[in-house]
Amino acid sequence: MVNEMMRDVDKYTALNSYIHRFDPRAKIISFISLIFSVVFLSDIRTTALCLAVSLVLLIISKIPLRFTLRKLMFPSVFIIFIFIALSLTVPGEALFRFYIITVTYEGLYEGVLIVLRAFSALILAFLLVSTTRFDDIIKALNSLRFPKPLTQILMLSYRYAFVFSDEIERMLTAMQARGFRMEAKMHSLKAIGKALGMLFVRCSERSERVYEAMLSRGYSSEIKTLSNFNMRAVDYVLCMLFLLFAVFLHW
Amino acid sequence: MSHKGDKKEYAVVVRNLSFRYSNQDANVLESVNLDIKRGEKVAIVGPNGAGKTTLLLNINGILRGYEGYIEIFGRRIDGRRSRKEIVRDVGMVFQDPDDQLFMPTVFDDVAFGPLNLGLSEDEVRTRVKEALRMLHIEDYEDKNPHRLSFGERKKIALATVLAMKPRILLLDEPTANLDPRSRSELISILKWLNESNDFTMIIATHDVNAIPDIADRVFVLNRRIIAEGTPREIFSDAELMEKTNLEVPDVMKLFELLRCFGFNCDELPLSIDDAVEALTKIIETSDGRHIHLHIHEHTHHGVERLRERWKYEHHL
Repeated sequence: MVNEMMRDVDKYTALNSYIHRFDPRAKIISFISLIFSVVFLSDIRTTALCLAVSLVLLIISKIPLRFTLRKLMFPSVFIIFIFIALSLTVPGEALFRFYIITVTYEGLYEGVLIVLRAFSALILAFLLVSTTRFDDIIKALNSLRFPKPLTQILMLSYRYAFVFSDEIERMLTAMQARGFRMEAKMHSLKAIGKALGMLFVRCSERSERVYEAMLSRGYSSEIKTLSNFNMRAVDYVLCMLFLLFAVFLHW
Repeated sequence: MSHKGDKKEYAVVVRNLSFRYSNQDANVLESVNLDIKRGEKVAIVGPNGAGKTTLLLNINGILRGYEGYIEIFGRRIDGRRSRKEIVRDVGMVFQDPDDQLFMPTVFDDVAFGPLNLGLSEDEVRTRVKEALRMLHIEDYEDKNPHRLSFGERKKIALATVLAMKPRILLLDEPTANLDPRSRSELISILKWLNESNDFTMIIATHDVNAIPDIADRVFVLNRRIIAEGTPREIFSDAELMEKTNLEVPDVMKLFELLRCFGFNCDELPLSIDDAVEALTKIIETSDGRHIHLHIHEHTHHGVERLRERWKYEHHL
């Protein structure tokens, strides 16, 4: 479950492309500022331009299209729902009617805008996490003076999401081995509830041991890391270009 | 600190240590006394829930609110300041490597301790390389612990501690849950560490077969220290074994059995190495350069008696 999802995320971080080689710190600044820029756009043409740019970046990154489509499928469903809802509910000049359903020009415009914005932001965010190793993202956030408690939480979550999802899976397997079926029955739901409660207890016990192990190696409220980052001239130029583009979109 | 030259130097001194977890009614440890010399390799055995882990955590200075007196290299453990010093001197390998490895990559995990010691970046990198090389896991630097096997993770957990170059190494059940191959590998690593380093080692373990290989002295713990002695003294004490539900190493059992068949040795071998030595000695000193086994009337009685002693009978 979680395991499969997480295992996949960094499947293509080892590829070699301009995007992969982009210094993680510069990459984070560039992509985040572009994402912020695009979600505040209100003109369809500039938003479309931004989507085009994200698509070009996607191609440059060499990440297989199938992988991208599979990863973006789930969020796309939400976006399409929002598109439908917007085009049907925003009041304005009616384009056409179908019984009680009215599609307005304004609704369609808003809908298309949302779709373009969402897909650009989605692709950019996807590119950021799928071309950068997770530990590099964290180290980059650290060196960008991102609040320490947040990076610590991210770091521990990354490691223990795997451990806990293994634990859930083992518990479910053990339950199934004793005849448990996942059904919409009171009995099944109760059993799941108890299992989750048990998982919670186990997690809290583990957290205590993890903390002890951290103390034993000299932990005092800060996780220090070493990174191999090296900003080259290209990274500075590229980052500048991204920032200029992000500003230019709003000109 | 100049500890060298002082032969009577103790690494760990524990006096009347009692400990109770805040959510429990009874003491987990009850006036425990220990004296462990520098460079000594000590095993702590005892049933589940005997307080072995709690004792190690106390020696590591992690648990607060103990009663009694704990001293590491002559300095008492108390207060925050000395706790920081303990981290420098004492390293602990936890039973479950998933508790110990919390970073996204092996490199970060091994570097975590040395970074906390405030070492320079170069020094940290050298230490990580060294620790991984010692255990033959150099290529693991960039791997995510989750994708490694339990045995590999156990070795990395050990590396995270070795990178801090502690003088006292605490190991909680180092051989538990390992497959036979990884277990022998880990035992040979511990033997190698024993020989090539000036470590003091304290190993909490159930693995009686490994003890003769890795420890010079054994403490039997069940809330309090019940017995103390060399592995031979402890394992030869049949009454103690019975009382504390401990078992003797398989090699020892086998040779005790061989005695019934007329094999004559004064000291029962405890480990495979001992066995080879004992066999060689006996065969070389015997007349025909061979060993002689037989079955007499007393053989059956002897075997029956031993079986009775080792048997665990299950009843409804």
